[in-house]
Amino acid sequence: MHHHLYNKKHSFLMVGVLTGILTSASLPTQAQQILPDWSGVWAMTGGTIFDAATKIGTGGATSPGVRENPPYNAEYEAKYAANLALRDKGILPDPNSLCGIPTGFPRIINLPDVYEFVARPEQVWILAENGPNIMRIYTDGREHPASADLWPTHTGDSVGHWEGDTLLFDTLSLHSSESGHTLLDRTGLILSDAAQASSRMYINADGKMEIQMTINDEKALTGPWVVTKQFNRLQAGSRVYDYACNENNRNPVDLESGWTFTIGPDGKIMDQPLAK
Amino acid sequence: MKFPSSAIVVSAVALLVAPVYAHHSDAMFEREKILELTGTIEEFQFTNPHTWIQLNVLDDKGSTVEWSLEWGSPNQLGRQGVRPATFPAGEKVTIRTNPMRDGTPGGAFIGAKFSDGKTIGRWE
Repeated sequence: MHHHLYNKKHSFLMVGVLTGILTSASLPTQAQQILPDWSGVWAMTGGTIFDAATKIGTGGATSPGVRENPPYNAEYEAKYAANLALRDKGILPDPNSLCGIPTGFPRIINLPDVYEFVARPEQVWILAENGPNIMRIYTDGREHPASADLWPTHTGDSVGHWEGDTLLFDTLSLHSSESGHTLLDRTGLILSDAAQASSRMYINADGKMEIQMTINDEKALTGPWVVTKQFNRLQAGSRVYDYACNENNRNPVDLESGWTFTIGPDGKIMDQPLAK
Repeated sequence: MKFPSSAIVVSAVALLVAPVYAHHSDAMFEREKILELTGTIEEFQFTNPHTWIQLNVLDDKGSTVEWSLEWGSPNQLGRQGVRPATFPAGEKVTIRTNPMRDGTPGGAFIGAKFSDGKTIGRWE
């Protein structure tokens, strides 16, 4: 009898809570979206070549001869070629190696280590262990700020909405790669400060998280550049750890020569740069 | 390039395995060469952004040289079962590495074999 009363009381409370949610005028429409299960820990498939679909050459992003083929105009193809030449010599400075600068979008979805994708009614958070890096996508119905209220940042400004289990979001107001703020990968891919992206993010039929970006950049590209990245869900119970980049960074980069030094056990640089 | 007496150049075959040096350029390492070092663990630095195995090796003059062998992030390795205790200080071990190009005592860690036959990393 006592048990029965408890259940009845519990059910009454639940109805009250549900009624409160459904009748609340303060919550935006998106709050009633049934969010997909993006829980767990995820790891990007493949290497850190940003656009594997247009890759030429054998090896990874640091292998000489490897390049991608975005629809660059002549000016940005020349800039990319200059970065590739430095990469071939191992002296392309990568802002990621400096510790302390956010990776930025779109490279934030081109990182080793692991990810969490947190879908809340009002925001989606992309949490990258590497860095660590965070990207926020507003889904509460807001729009991008007016252009006078925007300034370039590493991850830019992203707003989105749900269509079923697919998140659609637009990103703009990004730092130019040329100002040394970011690269897209270690081949030396770059974009200008005019870059914008429309992205679709969903779990595909194979159970992989898929982020498909259509990048437009009127200063750098002759047309839309579509890039797809995929992520595998790791086994349940996987953990994400601190990434304290300056904890014991024994590889300082000389920004003048681009050479990455190695610090020995005595705390002093032990190698001689071979790049000069 | 001078190597310690215990060093053996195992193979000149280029390794087509993706390096784990996502944090920085790997231009300082000679990827085409594998060097085998036998010594005693001084310290295993289980730290970001990379782990480092400090290995004391006798050189051809009988002096001890401390080698710095760089490996992946503790996060990646931790998820694969590597722990700070994986390389206990004082333990004798043989390590394979892609050595630094300029001959300084350092390299990229490939794999290790302990005296009881247990191996860590890549040891084919």
